[in-house]
Amino acid sequence: MLDKIFYNTVLCQTFSPCGKYLVAGNIYGQLAVFDLDNIFNPVIELLTPDYNKPKHIHTLESENQVCSLVSTENFLIVGSVNEILGWNWKSVIHPKLGKPAWTIRIQPKSVIEKCDINYLWYSEEEGKLYAGCGDNNIYIYNLEDGRLMSKLEGHEDYIHCLHGNGNQLISAGEDGKVLLWDTRTKKSHNKIEPYNNSKVARPDIGKWMGAAALGDDWIVCGGGPRLALWHLRSLDAVTVFDIPDHGIHVSFFHDDCVFAGGAAKHLYQLSYSGDIRVELPVSSTTVYSAVLRTSPHKVLTIAGSSPEIDLCTTFNYRDQVLHFR
Amino acid sequence: MGKDDTSTKKRRKLNTTSSSDNNAKQTPVDIYKKVVEFEEAEAQLRSADKDAALFKKIYQDVRQIFAEIAELKQKGTDEAKEKINVKRVEASLHLVALKKLNRLEKVRTRAGREALHKEKQRVDSTHLLLQNLLYEADHLNKEVTKCLQFKSKDEEIELIPLEEFYKEAPSEISRPEVTKADEHQLQLARLEWELRQRRELAGACSELVASKECVAAAIAAARSRLDALSPHLKDVLKATKPLQECLALRLDEKRDEIRAASLLPPPLFLLYANASAYYDALGANNVVVGISGDEDEAKRLDQLSNVESELVVSNDSDSDQENNYEEPRDKKKRHHRGTKISREEKAEAKKKEVLKKHPLNVKLTVKISEGTALNLIFSYMIHLKIVVVKYTLELSLPIIGVSAADVLNGDCILNELYIGDNGNDSPHPATSYLLNAAGIVEDFNYFIPEVGRPYIWAQRMCGLDFMAVTGDEKKSNIIQPSQSLSVVSVENFIFTLKKRLKSRVELMKELQNLESGKIIPEKSLGFPLRLSGSLIHWQSVGWNEYSQPTSTSFLISEGQVSADYMLYRAIITRQSAKLVAFVAVSSDYPKKAPLFSLTLNWNGTHTAGTSDDIRDIERIINTNWTNDGKKSTLTTQMEKLLTCLDILLETTGSLEFPPDKVMFQPVRGRNRMKPYRFIKQGTGVFVQY
Repeated sequence: MLDKIFYNTVLCQTFSPCGKYLVAGNIYGQLAVFDLDNIFNPVIELLTPDYNKPKHIHTLESENQVCSLVSTENFLIVGSVNEILGWNWKSVIHPKLGKPAWTIRIQPKSVIEKCDINYLWYSEEEGKLYAGCGDNNIYIYNLEDGRLMSKLEGHEDYIHCLHGNGNQLISAGEDGKVLLWDTRTKKSHNKIEPYNNSKVARPDIGKWMGAAALGDDWIVCGGGPRLALWHLRSLDAVTVFDIPDHGIHVSFFHDDCVFAGGAAKHLYQLSYSGDIRVELPVSSTTVYSAVLRTSPHKVLTIAGSSPEIDLCTTFNYRDQVLHFR
Repeated sequence: MGKDDTSTKKRRKLNTTSSSDNNAKQTPVDIYKKVVEFEEAEAQLRSADKDAALFKKIYQDVRQIFAEIAELKQKGTDEAKEKINVKRVEASLHLVALKKLNRLEKVRTRAGREALHKEKQRVDSTHLLLQNLLYEADHLNKEVTKCLQFKSKDEEIELIPLEEFYKEAPSEISRPEVTKADEHQLQLARLEWELRQRRELAGACSELVASKECVAAAIAAARSRLDALSPHLKDVLKATKPLQECLALRLDEKRDEIRAASLLPPPLFLLYANASAYYDALGANNVVVGISGDEDEAKRLDQLSNVESELVVSNDSDSDQENNYEEPRDKKKRHHRGTKISREEKAEAKKKEVLKKHPLNVKLTVKISEGTALNLIFSYMIHLKIVVVKYTLELSLPIIGVSAADVLNGDCILNELYIGDNGNDSPHPATSYLLNAAGIVEDFNYFIPEVGRPYIWAQRMCGLDFMAVTGDEKKSNIIQPSQSLSVVSVENFIFTLKKRLKSRVELMKELQNLESGKIIPEKSLGFPLRLSGSLIHWQSVGWNEYSQPTSTSFLISEGQVSADYMLYRAIITRQSAKLVAFVAVSSDYPKKAPLFSLTLNWNGTHTAGTSDDIRDIERIINTNWTNDGKKSTLTTQMEKLLTCLDILLETTGSLEFPPDKVMFQPVRGRNRMKPYRFIKQGTGVFVQY
C-alpha cells in the first residue's frame, strides 16, 4: 500500500501575521507549518536538506479534512467539518499542537450529512468572520465573543468561495450562482448566473462557480463556466479570459492584475483586457489555493492536489518547491 | 709571349728540318744514338742558368744581325750585299747555337720529370706500408680488449664470503700466506673449497633419499594391509542385511545417506543437517529433504583435496572456526575450497573450473496443500564459494491463462522473498575478483541461467554470511556462528516460502478469473450492488509497455514500481467510456497491495496528472487511508475500481449513465469530491470519504 501522502491534496493555506510562517491544510486533517525564514534568509552553512519540508505537521483530533484557513492578528482559524477551530499562533508554532483556544460548532441538518466549512473570510475593520459552508449558508460570527451574528441564506448548493469589499460581500456556489450581499442589510441584492451566459458557459465541465472576488468596480469569477471579468454595476461580462483550464478554483485581484488557477497546468496572471501576463507552471493537478503577501517579503504560494507547494518570490517564475509530505 | 711562341715554332720547324736532314744524311742509328747520349750527358753537365744567359745573349746577337742586315738592305749596295751574306752566315751559326740550347733544355726537362715521378712512387709505397701497420695495430688492440673482457665460469659460482672462508677452510686449502697476497690464488683456493663442500652435501642428499624410499615402502606395505581388510568388513556388513530386513531397521539406507552427507561440502552439509532435523520434527507433509548427485565423483574430489590439504591448511584460517561446530568426519573435506586455479589452463577450461559445482547437491521439497510443491536444488560452487539454487514446481491443478501461469513461473516466485534479494548477483564480495582472476570478463549474473541463482537466503540457510547489505533483517549485520544462523534461516525460509507459495497460488486463481473477465466478489465485503462496467481485457505487459504511458510516470518517478514487479494491463468499459488500468503487483503480494495507474477515455483522456477525479480513485485504490481494516486483494481492488468508475460516470450527469446508486451529495467540498465510499445503511448509500 502506498502512503496516502503521495496523494496529498492541499485545500487551503495562510500566512502567519508576521509573515514568517506558512500554514497549509490537507484533506487528511493535517496542518503543515513551514518556516519561511530558511527560504528568505538562507544561511548556507545551517541549511539542512529538509529545509523545504514542514517544520511541524499537526493532525486534527477529528482527522476531518481541513477545508479552509484564515489568520487574524492572534489566531489561526481552521475550517474543518462541522466546526471552526481557533488556535493561538504561539501554540501553532509549538511542536505539539494543544487544544484549540476556541471552537464554533455548526450543526448539520442530519447525522449522515456533514457541513464543510468550505471558505473563511475575515473582515478586519468589522472584526467579523464570514464562513461559507457546505449547508448552502453563509454564517457571520463576531470574533470578540464567538457569537453567531447572522446567517445568509440564498444559495441552493454549497458555497465554494467568499470575498468582501467595503459593505459588499460576494459568494460563489456549486449551484452556479454568484451572489452579491449587502453586509448591512444581510440581504442578497444582486446575482450573476454565468452558466446562463453563452459567452462563458461550459456545460461539459459544469455550472458550478469555484471562485469569485470583488474589486472596486469589477468582479472576477469562474468555475465550470469560463473565468470572466464582470462589471460590478451593470453585471455584464466585459472580458472573458481565454485560458486552457478545466475548471477555476482560485481567482483574485492584485495590482491591476487577475490571478487565476484551477484544473490547469499553470497559474495565470491576466490583465483586465484579457492578455496573459505571466504563466506560472504549477506542480498540482488542480490548484485549490494560492495565497499572496507583499510584506515583509513578496511571496506567492500555490497549492492543490499534490504533495508539492510552489513558492514564488517574484510572481514571475517558480523558484522553490515546498514538500508537504 | 707571342713572340716567344712564334720563335719556338720557328725553331721547331728549323729543328725538324735539320733533324730530317740529319736522318737523311747519316743513315746508321748508332750515330744518332750516340749524339743523343752525348747531348744528354752534356745537358747534365751544363748549368741551366748559364745556358739561359747564353741563350739570351745569342738571341740579342741575332736581333742585332737582323737589324744590321735590314740597314744594309736599305743601302742596297753591292758591298752591302756581301756584308749581308756574311751576316747571314753569322746569323745561321747563331741559330744553330740556339737550336743546340733548345735541345739541351728539352733533355733537361725530361730528366727532371722522370726524377719527380720516381720520387712520387716512393712516397706512395711508404704510405701503403703505414696503412698496413696501423691496421695491424688496431687489430691487436681489439684482441687485447677481448681478452680483458673475458668472463670465467667461476664468477657465476656463488662462493662463501671471504671471512667465513678463512675461518672454516683448512689451512692447506686456504693457504693464507699465498692467497692474502695473490688474488688469483685466493680465487682458486675458494673454488677448491666450494667443490669439496658440494661433494659432501651431494653425498648427504643421496643418503637421505635412500632412507625416505625405505620409509615409503614401509607405509605402502601398511596401507595394502589395511586395504585388504576392507572387503572383509563389507562381507560382514552384507551378512547383517537379512537380519536388518528381518528387524525392519533402515540402518543401511540411513547409512547411505549419511555417507553421502559426509561427502557434502560443509555449507550444504549444514543445510542438510538442519533441514532433515526440521523434517524429522514436522514430518513429511511440509518438507522433504534429500541428497542427489554423483557420489563417486564426490569421493574422487574428496581424495584429491586430501592430497592438497597439507599445502592449504595453513592459510585456510576462517574454516577453523567452523570446525568447532561440525562433525569431525566432515573435517577433511573443507580443503578443496582452497584449491588453486592453475593459470596454465586454457580460458575455456578455466571458466568451467571456476564455475564448477560440487557433484553432490541437496534437494529440498516444500509442500503446501493440494499437492502443490516446490523443489529446490541447492548446489555449492566450489571455487566461488557460494550456494546457487535451481527449482521446479509441481502443481496439482492445470493452469489456464497466460498471465496466471507467469505468476507461478520463472524466477517470479522466489524473487524478493526477502526485501532486495532478487538473486541477480553473487552475495559474495570476492566473486568478481575470482572471476577476474580466471580471466572471465562477464559478470556473475551472465552465468545465472546456467548455474542457478545465488539468493542471499540460500547462503544464510547454508550458514554462509557474507555481511551483504540486505537491510531487511537486522541480524544479517551481526556476526553469528554459522550453525545457529543456518538453523534460524532454514525455519524462517520454509515458513516464508510456504506463505509465498500459498499467496501465489491464490493470486494465480484470481488472475485466472480476471483473465477470463470474471470478477468474483467476496461475500464478506457485502457489495450487493450491480457493477455496470465490465472487464474486457486482462493481459500481462512488459516494463517497456508499462513505463510508456503518462499515467504510470508518477509511480515510477516516486520509485514505487520497478521492473521487478509483475505488470498487467486491464481494460474496463462501460458504454462509451473506457478505463485503462496498468496494475503493478509486487512479488511480495499480498503483503504489498497491487498499485493501479488509471487512464480514462471519455470526453477526452484523463489521468491522475490532469484530472483530480482519476487521482481520487487512484488514492482510494492504492492507499489504505480509508482504514476499512480489510485486507486488499487484487479482486477487491478491482471491485473498488469498478464501483468508483460507476460513481464517477454517474455523477457527471450525462444521460448515457443514469444514476443507479444512492448517494447523498453527488459532489462535496471545494475539491468536488465524488462519493466513493459505501456505507451499509438501508440498501446502502455512497458518501464522500
